[in-house]
Amino acid sequence: YNGTLAQRKSMKNIYVTVHVQNRPIKDVFHEIEKATGLHFAYNNINLKATDSLSVTADKKDLATLLGEIAGKTDLRFRRINDNIHVTRVEESKEATPPVEEVTQRTVTGQVTSSDDQSPMPGVNIVVKGTTVGTVTDADGAYTIDIPNDDAILVYSFIGYQTLEATVGTQSTLNISLKADITALDEIVVIGYGSQKRSDLTGAVAIVSSNEIRKYATNDIAQLLQGRAAGVAVTSDGQPGAFPSVRIRGIGTFGDAEPLYVIDGVPIGTTPRDFNPNDVESIQVLKDASAGAVYGSRAANGVVIITTKQGKKDQPLRVEYNAYYGIDKVWQHMPVTNRVQYQMLNNESQLNGGGTMAPGNDPTSPLFIDDIDTDWQKVGLETGVRQDHNLNFSGGSKTSTYNLSLDYLNNQGTFVGNGPSFDRYAIRVNSTTEKGIFKIGESLYYTHSHENALTNSAAFLNGNRPPLINDLLMAIPTMPLYDPNREGGYGGTSSNIERAIVINIPGLNSLVKNYTDVDRIFANVYTETKLLNKNGHRINYKLNLSYDKTFARDFFFQPVLDLGFFFQSAIPRLDEATRMYTTGLVENTITYQKNFGRHGIDFLAGQMYQSGSTVVQGGHTESLTSPYYPVLDNGSNKSASGASYRNTLSSFLGRLNYNYDDRYLLTATIRRDGSSRFAPSNRYGNFPSVAVAWKLHNEKIFQLPSFIYELKARVSYGELGNQSIGDYLYAATINPNLSYNYSGQKVTGSTQTALVDPNIKWESKVTSNAGLDISFFNGKIDFTVEYYRNKTKDVLVGVPIPASTGSNGNPVVNAGSLQNTGFEFTVGYHKKTGDFTFDISANAYTLKNKVLSLGGFDEPVYGVGSKTQVGSSIGQHFGYDVEGIFQTQDEITGHAFQNAGTSPGDLKFRDQLTVDTNGDGVPDAADNVINAEDRVYLGRALPNFYYGANFSAGYKNFDLTIFMSGSTGNVINNWTYRLLMHTTDYMNYHEDALNRWTPTNTNTDVPRLVTGDPNNNGGDNNRKDWLQDGTYLRINTLSLGYKLKDNLVKGLTNSRVYITCQNLYTFQKYKGYNPDFTTGVWNPGFDAGSYPKPRTIMVGVQIGF
Amino acid sequence: CDDKLDISNPNRQTTSDFWQTQSQAMAGCNAIYATLIIDGTYTRMTPALSDGRGDDVTGDSPWPDLVQVSNFTIPTTSGPVQWIWADYYRLIWRANQVLENTVDIEMDEALKNRIIGQAYFLRGLAFFKLANFYKIVPLVLATPKTPDDYYPTTATEEELWNQIYSDFQQAKDLLPDSYANVTGPDAGQIGRATKGAATGMLGKSYLYRKEWQKAADQFKELIDGGLYSLVDDYRDNFTDGNENNSESLFEVQFADPSQVGGTVMNWGGDPAANWKQASAQACTYSMDGRGYSDFLPTQWIYNEYKLEQTTDGKSDPRLLATIASYEPDDNSTKVYGDAWPYASDKIYPRKYTNDGKAGYVNEYDLNSGINYRVLRYADILLMYAEALNELKQTAAAYPYIQQVRDRANLPDLATTKPNMTQDEMRDQIAHERALEFAIEGQRINDIIRWGWFYDADKLAALKAHDADFNLWSAGNEYLPIPQGELDVNKKLSPNPAN
Repeated sequence: YNGTLAQRKSMKNIYVTVHVQNRPIKDVFHEIEKATGLHFAYNNINLKATDSLSVTADKKDLATLLGEIAGKTDLRFRRINDNIHVTRVEESKEATPPVEEVTQRTVTGQVTSSDDQSPMPGVNIVVKGTTVGTVTDADGAYTIDIPNDDAILVYSFIGYQTLEATVGTQSTLNISLKADITALDEIVVIGYGSQKRSDLTGAVAIVSSNEIRKYATNDIAQLLQGRAAGVAVTSDGQPGAFPSVRIRGIGTFGDAEPLYVIDGVPIGTTPRDFNPNDVESIQVLKDASAGAVYGSRAANGVVIITTKQGKKDQPLRVEYNAYYGIDKVWQHMPVTNRVQYQMLNNESQLNGGGTMAPGNDPTSPLFIDDIDTDWQKVGLETGVRQDHNLNFSGGSKTSTYNLSLDYLNNQGTFVGNGPSFDRYAIRVNSTTEKGIFKIGESLYYTHSHENALTNSAAFLNGNRPPLINDLLMAIPTMPLYDPNREGGYGGTSSNIERAIVINIPGLNSLVKNYTDVDRIFANVYTETKLLNKNGHRINYKLNLSYDKTFARDFFFQPVLDLGFFFQSAIPRLDEATRMYTTGLVENTITYQKNFGRHGIDFLAGQMYQSGSTVVQGGHTESLTSPYYPVLDNGSNKSASGASYRNTLSSFLGRLNYNYDDRYLLTATIRRDGSSRFAPSNRYGNFPSVAVAWKLHNEKIFQLPSFIYELKARVSYGELGNQSIGDYLYAATINPNLSYNYSGQKVTGSTQTALVDPNIKWESKVTSNAGLDISFFNGKIDFTVEYYRNKTKDVLVGVPIPASTGSNGNPVVNAGSLQNTGFEFTVGYHKKTGDFTFDISANAYTLKNKVLSLGGFDEPVYGVGSKTQVGSSIGQHFGYDVEGIFQTQDEITGHAFQNAGTSPGDLKFRDQLTVDTNGDGVPDAADNVINAEDRVYLGRALPNFYYGANFSAGYKNFDLTIFMSGSTGNVINNWTYRLLMHTTDYMNYHEDALNRWTPTNTNTDVPRLVTGDPNNNGGDNNRKDWLQDGTYLRINTLSLGYKLKDNLVKGLTNSRVYITCQNLYTFQKYKGYNPDFTTGVWNPGFDAGSYPKPRTIMVGVQIGF
Repeated sequence: CDDKLDISNPNRQTTSDFWQTQSQAMAGCNAIYATLIIDGTYTRMTPALSDGRGDDVTGDSPWPDLVQVSNFTIPTTSGPVQWIWADYYRLIWRANQVLENTVDIEMDEALKNRIIGQAYFLRGLAFFKLANFYKIVPLVLATPKTPDDYYPTTATEEELWNQIYSDFQQAKDLLPDSYANVTGPDAGQIGRATKGAATGMLGKSYLYRKEWQKAADQFKELIDGGLYSLVDDYRDNFTDGNENNSESLFEVQFADPSQVGGTVMNWGGDPAANWKQASAQACTYSMDGRGYSDFLPTQWIYNEYKLEQTTDGKSDPRLLATIASYEPDDNSTKVYGDAWPYASDKIYPRKYTNDGKAGYVNEYDLNSGINYRVLRYADILLMYAEALNELKQTAAAYPYIQQVRDRANLPDLATTKPNMTQDEMRDQIAHERALEFAIEGQRINDIIRWGWFYDADKLAALKAHDADFNLWSAGNEYLPIPQGELDVNKKLSPNPAN
């Protein structure tokens, strides 16, 4: 026979002749071995003596022969190449065929981690569809036999994405495994360190970096909108305007913005200038356990932003990401046209005993019938946004680098100079290590140019902005252009239109108003492994950072005549510079040791931070035309300036203890000293403690197998807030009170503002309980948290009586408030097959309650709002409307409202305000409508928020839909109220056409009457005054296509996409943005936010 | 590290090391005056919300508050109503700081007395204005030491006026007749409160409370003193051409930025070095196209001027000093140097505007430097006449009235209306005051103190003068106590206008 031949042949084609009678089975095998040259392998089994049998075969094919033997015994045969493996049937769990034949060869290789190219021991490798497998050794190396070239090897390791590789003709297969970022062992950056996600004990929201990259935004904060339970982001659509971020509700009456930490450095100002394309990950620290390391600044939550780093052992990778899109205001306010405006306005004037404005009076020679300007049409235009980002990254065995260049341009949707925003940014991050030393730095420089909407009280009398309201209020009878007026734009006059409305395209074209910002943010750190012996590890880290922002504000107003109220014969130039500097030195030392089942990770640190602000401004007037707007020109010059400084000196300690990966404990304390308080109140201690129990690792019981992870955790601690101005504890003398004696200027000095010298930290006690659970190997994960935050000694300028004579309200430690809520996060991930998808959703409730208000707990009133003990901040407050008076008799029979009250006016409810039986409970009405009759009219803050992200991939296509919204509140819509005015010469909302008239009595819109004697326009719950704030916005709809690698030589990971942002908002609200930004005391008051445009854009992501 | 946390304010001195020197006392005193030129006091709202309520003026503003104040329907939440309240209390706090802290400063005693005297005068003036605007307000006589002091209770009308008398009396006792001959940093400074100003305001306060004899005594003292006299040209009292003249007992000093600098309008807020010292009254009152035209003179007051002719057969010269009107017969055909652009029957305020000033085109840049005359000698004369009449010395009143009429070139009242009864004289004085003081913020206070709102005949007359009075209801002759103030301070009482 030909052994080689036999080895090539299938067992069906190998014929043997064997005759044995009652012989031990080993002899049978031996006979066959002799006949075929094949080898039986049975080392693993004990061939018993009783295993004797008789075989008779004449040129029988080997497959049939072995099949007969298997039938007589409990043996099973598996031929691999020239070996025949013998097993017993009971040892094999699965039903194995009696005889099996595979051809195999050996593949070797190494498995490394894609993160740092380090070898990965213990990686499981299986030949797909078989039980054949192996694991990598300490060097990550492996050897495995495969049956044929079509074999697929499956590499899996906990915490890494499972990878399948087709062997093909290769004999060496080196594999790089990617960390599975949704897995539990994801490394999460927390303050002063990082932790495995599964080891977290506090409330930390992790924003998926993959998804945020699909959202094009000018700033980092908007990346958070709708992404994390407990994080509310409100903003308007003005390019360059930074949103307001509230973590777990409004925890203070004062500054409620969270602390931003970028690459480990707490920044003193907003991160407006930072480029979102540089962001690698964002974490939000929500409770005391997570936030206590930032002590006195963590009460409003901490947003930790980490920027991209290069990877070790990676050749230069070049990526170009860009998008170009157009912005369009998609909401249209229905306002009246010329005929409707004139009709309504005349009616209002005549009802109020006035006369028609000549421009509206058809009998007047000044009557306007040839102008009908649609201000939204001429004042709004299509905006543009584009971003170009070039990223270079890579690394050697000991170093990494990442360099990014970015240009952003966003031209807003108003006609004229603004708003627009341009930003240029450069970032360089790198690390190098040798031996026990590691150094790294991140350097960031940015320049931005923002054309904000014009805002100058110097000539815009009456504090006009927000200008979007002015655009809507402009009357249709005002022309856009008027060559007879200085500047060429139209206006009104007091003896024709009588209207104080402003030509917004004109204003926005004539006045220049911009801010240039240059910011340098540099961070350098060194790490030294002081000790790494016998499991003891001590690391020392020195962190130095310097952050300097230089802003230049420019405002120039030429001689202009925009009519009636808005004209100036004096050109004005204001130029100001603002410089913000923050320096930081941090020394931290960590000690880690595992002994037996115990693990300890201890951190101690000392920090010193110093911040300063210097502002300087110049003003000059009466520049001559043609204008050269620099401060040298002009006259009546003045200069202004001020400087501020603050310091913070701190100590920090944190212990993480882990027992057997079952029980976790985190204890933290930070001690902060702040220059913002008098020496006696300067220091604050901020302790916290948290414990967690990993039930899935518990040994005393076994969870059902479908539960992959189950962790319960609770935390408790105290955080602080010192976000107030500098020097506020010491009363000062204002030296700038000027007067003159018969034209001779003198200056006076006196105390003009009261202060409270005893102010101290605002502190917040937080309790948090959370449950993290995941099912089916992490396919579904779910987190629920409950928190209760109680803020006390809130730092705020609570209104005091004006009879004190103080300018402004002193900042005091006033009152306390509580926020409670549940937060839910759920995810479902399908990662295999052609069709993959990922659904994540979050929702949370928010309940805000004022516990005390300081002083005598007197309520605080905002615009149409009241904040009182026992209810939430800034609830809507005003008169309760019962309906509309139809007859004079009804008015006479009702409580007295006003001498001028007439049919068509609102009927207000006369509340029970008089206590007749002395029991302290009002039981009678006083028959007059006055301030006492104002009541609670609705919730100003949403109580339920939600966000959902759905992303799916099919082969090369990917689709993302992202939605978010909130509900539970009503909004005081100032834009709408302005348009539903009754008194002024301004345009009307079309709803005003349905006003009460003697012939249109079945309506809830009261009559139009100038002077508004009945105060129909006041704060009340008339229908539509307060509008439902519920909304659901489709923030993103994005469709992408992944380009084939090497489409062009070297091309990898490249994608093209088309995205629509802010596609549509389901809302009943008649203003623009139900998620407007607003003040603390009237959170439900929308003064008129700039509309968020709908953006349609195309983009590319190209990598080499 | 503690050292590094000790950071002192590099921008301003703290109060702890202030009030040590003479110059600081002086600066503190100047600071009180600075309160006179902000929105709630004389820059705009004190004239505006006083004039509007009179029958000589009606609101014609797109700003609802200015119309509502004129027709007595102003809401309790009105901004201007709150600004007046807040700004006079700012003055009071600043005066109280001077009163409390100057006493212990080692300095020139005469100067110290003058400073304290001015603080009393200005505080008295503030309470006087508050009493007239709001009827009942809290008396804040000391600086707040603890937060409890932030919440004063409302004083009775009697307590309030007794304090006003006391403050003016103290001022009168401490102040000099003039600063022309004093030595010290205030030497020669014109515009500071004088003994004459305090005496006149004390008399006026007594008059407002019908303390006729006490009032008469003060006026008599001034008249006999011979320090003051009427200026020849009535309009010199309302332009920046002849300020601080012999007729002026006290005036608020405004100045054009070209004189004293400033680029930001002095509305209010925490005072800054770049504030102007301008009056906004000119722009607020000036006619369409030249200013905001927020107020118009009533036809009644116009007609009132036409009732009598001068001895040489012309219109009362006070008409055109007070009202801009197209009067070719009196050679008045222009506004701000241009031909009359309005209908010939249209009338506008002219008093306290820069209409007629060479080179002045319009008021929009808010740079008017016209001083506000708080008290002038014509008022002393007419108030003395009124006091005499109320003391049943009606005949003795004639010459004092006639002094004022003579300046307007009107015939001798003793000839045209001899032997008037006390009642007739009352009406005559009311008429004389209306003409002499139209658009000077006096009329509403006169109407209130004369009780006309609660006299059916007089009320009917007022309604005939000015339709705004049709919407008046009892109590609304006053401004309401600001709602925000009532909301914040539970110890405060509402007033009849709330």
